[in-house]
Amino acid sequence: MAIAEAGLERPNWLARWTQEHLRVLFFSLGKLARAPMAAALTALVIGIALALPAGLFVAVRNLSTVGYSWQESLQISLFLKDSVSDERGKALAREIGAETGVARATYISREQALAEFRELSGFGEALDLLKDNPLPPVIAVTPARGQTKAEVRSLLARLSQRPEVDLAKLDQQWLERLYAVLSIAEHAVGIIALLLGLAVMVIIGNTIRLDIEARREEIEVMKLIGAPHSFVRRPFLYSGVWFGLGGGLLAWGLVALATHLLDAPTAQLAALYDSTYRIAGLSLSDGLALVAAGIVLGWSGAFATVTHRLAQIEPR
Amino acid sequence: MTDLIRFDRVSYRYPGGQDVLADVSFAIAQGEMAYITGPSGAGKTTVLRLIAALCRATRGQIVVMGQNLSTLKPRHVPAFRQRLGLVFQNFNLLYDRTVFDNVALPLVIRGYAHADIGRRVRAALDAVGLLGKEKVLPLTLSGGEQQRVGIARAIVTKPALILADEPTGNLDPEMALEVMRGFARFNEVGVTVLVATHAIDLIEAVPRRIIHLEQGRITDKHPLAASKLKEAASHGHR
Repeated sequence: MAIAEAGLERPNWLARWTQEHLRVLFFSLGKLARAPMAAALTALVIGIALALPAGLFVAVRNLSTVGYSWQESLQISLFLKDSVSDERGKALAREIGAETGVARATYISREQALAEFRELSGFGEALDLLKDNPLPPVIAVTPARGQTKAEVRSLLARLSQRPEVDLAKLDQQWLERLYAVLSIAEHAVGIIALLLGLAVMVIIGNTIRLDIEARREEIEVMKLIGAPHSFVRRPFLYSGVWFGLGGGLLAWGLVALATHLLDAPTAQLAALYDSTYRIAGLSLSDGLALVAAGIVLGWSGAFATVTHRLAQIEPR
Repeated sequence: MTDLIRFDRVSYRYPGGQDVLADVSFAIAQGEMAYITGPSGAGKTTVLRLIAALCRATRGQIVVMGQNLSTLKPRHVPAFRQRLGLVFQNFNLLYDRTVFDNVALPLVIRGYAHADIGRRVRAALDAVGLLGKEKVLPLTLSGGEQQRVGIARAIVTKPALILADEPTGNLDPEMALEVMRGFARFNEVGVTVLVATHAIDLIEAVPRRIIHLEQGRITDKHPLAASKLKEAASHGHR
């Protein structure tokens, strides 16, 4: 008789652990496969919730890249006093060009400035009405690459101290505004990511909760025959991980699709500004981080819900 | 140690305040088979629930398989329950899983190797005469067969103690007798069996010691078959 058979040896914990996780892995996948539409919808909702902050992140990063490339074409304009001669101006430009922190300094004489203005502004005829050339000589200073904002600022202060200089101007206010906006956007991405991360946990938690309610009797039976919490909990945690994984992959796909769709229009826009700038999507490591975030959120959403609900379900 | 179960002046009161068991003391020896009888609401199920650590005694001591249940920590309850075989009136099977998976569940919980589980499950199904039904879903089986699946699940781990709560309540007489004989057979190979029932005819067919409860107390009275109730009433027995 079966009952008289000798007791069995349990495999070691590693073998038990591996076997149990493999079992739950296939069990949870099978469960998803039995209700593919419901699972796909849940993953889609999670995917959209994750794609929003990821998309914003990509947008902000692209904008700051563009801003940074503009900063490199930044110039300090030194308007010289009228009393400064052409020779002195050229010599001054050479002097400044040799200073540290300066990439290039070009002297633009009053005549050159006038000719340029006549050519580019479209007000050439109006200038003919003036007796004198109203434009001062200018030295255009390009700061060296990789200078910080503070360094550029101190260079500006230094140059404006020179006796020949009437006015030194760094037209960077708009750039500072852009950076301020970008910094707000970066914080906003963080906050939105936090909120939508919570939303993902709630979505997954709610899905798992419905699943738990549907399987309440099964859970009771399992507890009756001595299943520990970890055993009952495991399939639900796997479900959460699958939802998170699916959602993360979908979010990656959505962001990739959006960047692909925006690629041609951006290239066109950049071409209008004589730039070869191309929009940058999520890198491999960004994408993997997105998927990992999905998995972590899925797991923790499931864990919080299951732990909370299982304590309430006791066999009658 | 010969007492597998010992109740020492045990009382149980529902959280609402109603007394279910009052001052109940008894012992079941290792290898014994006994019935708990009594009218509905007498506390039969509560006795089994207390033994299985599904609820805790309000007063008194319960020792099961050497474990004092009043000192059993909640996180050790699952491990304790794994040492019991439980059989229920409503079978408590998982209806979306095959017979094999149902019976295998206690072994899966313990983490036995696949090959061993297969062997054990088939042995247990063989013991209850359901060897050919491994791949079937429980709902396609008759009530008697479903209960035998439940019994196979209870014995698959070879527990030292089987608790059965009205195991024949949903079965026809023939099936019920077969199930009760099955418990007697397990008992013959050394398993301690405690059955809560009010099926007097079955007790008469498979006679064992009787613990009779009335209104939460153990009495010397014995349960009566329906056919004898009238007679007893005229003698002032009840």
